Amino acid sequence: MGDSRGPKIAGSSERILIPGTGIELPVDFDLSRRDMLKIAGYGSLAAFIAACGGTTPTTTSGSVTAKGGSMSIGSYLSDAVPKKGLQDVVDAFTSANGGTKVKVNTVDHGTFQNTINNYLQATPEDIFTWFSGHRMRFFAKKGLAQPIDDVWNDVKSNFTEGFAASVKGDDGHVYAVPTSYYPWAIFYRKDVFTARNYKIPTNWDDFIKLCQQMKKDNLIPMAFADKDGWPAMGTFDILNLRMNGYDFHVGLCGGQQKWTDPKVANVFKKWAELTPYYSPAFAGLTWQEAAQQLRQKKAGMYLLGLFVSEQFVSGGNADDINQLDFFPFPDLGTQYDSEKALDAPIDVYMLAKKSPTLGTDSGQAKAFLEFMSKGSSQITYWKASPGAIPTANDADPSQYPALTKKAAQIVSGAKRITQFFDRDSRPDFSGPNAMQGFLLRYLSSPKQDTSSLQGQMQSFWDSLTPE
Amino acid sequence: MSAAAVRAPRIRPARVVLHGFLIAMAALWIFPLFWAIYSSLRPISDTIQHGYLSWPSNGLSLINYQTVWSQAELPYYYLNTLVIAVPAVVLTLLLASMVAFACTQFSWRFNLATLMIFTAGNLLPPQVIIVPLYRIYLATPIPVLGEIDIGKFAFPIFSDRGLLYDQYIGIMLIHIVFQTGFATFVLSNYMKTISKEITESAIVDGAHVLRIWWNIVLPLCRPALAAMATLLFTFIYNDFFWALILMSTGSKRPITSALNNLQGEFFVNNNLIAAGALLVAIPPILVYIFLQKQFIAGLTLGSTKG
Repeated sequence: MGDSRGPKIAGSSERILIPGTGIELPVDFDLSRRDMLKIAGYGSLAAFIAACGGTTPTTTSGSVTAKGGSMSIGSYLSDAVPKKGLQDVVDAFTSANGGTKVKVNTVDHGTFQNTINNYLQATPEDIFTWFSGHRMRFFAKKGLAQPIDDVWNDVKSNFTEGFAASVKGDDGHVYAVPTSYYPWAIFYRKDVFTARNYKIPTNWDDFIKLCQQMKKDNLIPMAFADKDGWPAMGTFDILNLRMNGYDFHVGLCGGQQKWTDPKVANVFKKWAELTPYYSPAFAGLTWQEAAQQLRQKKAGMYLLGLFVSEQFVSGGNADDINQLDFFPFPDLGTQYDSEKALDAPIDVYMLAKKSPTLGTDSGQAKAFLEFMSKGSSQITYWKASPGAIPTANDADPSQYPALTKKAAQIVSGAKRITQFFDRDSRPDFSGPNAMQGFLLRYLSSPKQDTSSLQGQMQSFWDSLTPE
Repeated sequence: MSAAAVRAPRIRPARVVLHGFLIAMAALWIFPLFWAIYSSLRPISDTIQHGYLSWPSNGLSLINYQTVWSQAELPYYYLNTLVIAVPAVVLTLLLASMVAFACTQFSWRFNLATLMIFTAGNLLPPQVIIVPLYRIYLATPIPVLGEIDIGKFAFPIFSDRGLLYDQYIGIMLIHIVFQTGFATFVLSNYMKTISKEITESAIVDGAHVLRIWWNIVLPLCRPALAAMATLLFTFIYNDFFWALILMSTGSKRPITSALNNLQGEFFVNNNLIAAGALLVAIPPILVYIFLQKQFIAGLTLGSTKG
């Protein structure tokens, strides 16, 4: 009974007043069976009254969730495979939660992201699928997402500290339940490395030496593609994280640090040591084409997200996917190596504050969020859609294939997790007119003096209207 | 006769150049379509293995068409578009012909001004009013009158949430509003070619205004109406913009958004998208073929004023 006045304790007999009923009960923790029945009776009476008063179905007292009834989800999981994954979870939820009816509104993920602002301000569904990072905090700050601290209190023991930090808004409240993620790392083919006797590099010097060796062996050392603008940001992220640390990187994404900082110049300088080993004409390649260079053994390594495996699977040759492996980004010999920070974008479920149905009953939606934070539900989703990894501590990893196990391992070893530049920074700065364009210009001549470029980056940031 | 026989085989260089040019241009225009058809017939694994510039190693198949038909739920999205497009075209033509009729067949004080307003509305770019329109749609209540269920899709008759936002009728209305200007402009130019003696003699015979409009002017305008119907259908069919802003339910959006559904979050199966694009292109082509005769007649409409 979350009454702020607190229970009234009367005299020595230690009795408690049940708010709103005028009934006093002893609180000497020696309740008779009759007392228990009394409590249960009033509980069901309250439920009966609630049921008569409106459509609100049974709310278990003391719990934030409710069974039965109905709720809705706005989902960007429009690809056939994840769409089925969500449907499986929804079906499991319906049968576990007293037959709650769930309406899923699936919108293709591109449109969903482009129209999210309109969507959340109009008549959104109760729950919506979204991303962690700045993208989550932005809508929390705008008042379009509802805090879920009560849900989080029930489920937080099932998540690591990294995930807990990733769902907090600027105001300290929790706004999302993290459900899956995938890491960025350097991918390679095991058979290529075995045949040529390459060793996995653990530091920068070995890494560059390996690149040189691959070049001699007529391989493209690093597959790279930046036609779509965003892939290059992954390399910037990891270099900045490992050279300048997590705090600086997050500050840079959020505008607290300056792009003109010499630390940023160092990142570009370091990056220039790697660019000679990139795929030729990478500015015109899509990431799919670069992934094919790796799959066809034309390229030796590729820094990308775990989703690169989709290109290996859809090639139709089973051996390709068995040969795919990855290793974490090599150490750069800085104090931040020990952070082992990396990009591991986390997908989350949130409550849309303006949902017309959420205001009157949020119990079912909260029940779904709690359901979604269980390892077993996440595994149900993962089985249908194995592209990303469950976040819950109690998700059973025994069924994971080797690649997924390893991915889960390197993320749990990371002390700091970032979400990828376009999820960590504001959208108007990570777009093609800004960061993507700046990086393409840098990559057109990596050896250039970057001070004027950095100046332009900073003045672009300064020109943006405050959020 | 002999002169003709001698002249026939002579090929003038100018003619060779002309035909060479025509063939080259035709090939250039047909190439993208051919490329789409060719890609759509190949499984994605084949093109990933061998690249797009290759002969099919496992033969061609219609598997992409099957997948796209079921995965993108194309039949439902065709219905979504038809539910919006057909009433919108009919209502636009009715309303526009009324305005054009009143402005061209009768002399009244503001008939020219009215015509100009409708034509000017045609020049307004829809993007400029999108924000106020979005707010208006969110603030406009309309009654909920039940819905028609077809398969797993439900088509609400008026609204399913009591708002104009996120409804078929909302999209239909905005199309009617925006297309009426253009249709009025074209139809009034055509109606000007109808001599006033016809309407005047109808009045003498005792026909009232609505009767003249329905029984005399509209039948005379059939080529213009058919041409406009073709054009309007294509415009509305191709629209993506309104449904993007004024709708939030993915399964209510028109066919153009079904193609977006095929674009994977990370992985893009271009062969599947090619198959989808070709299927989606069929209805406007069918409409064009059925109304072709009128369409060509309509091309010149309004070019000479009566």
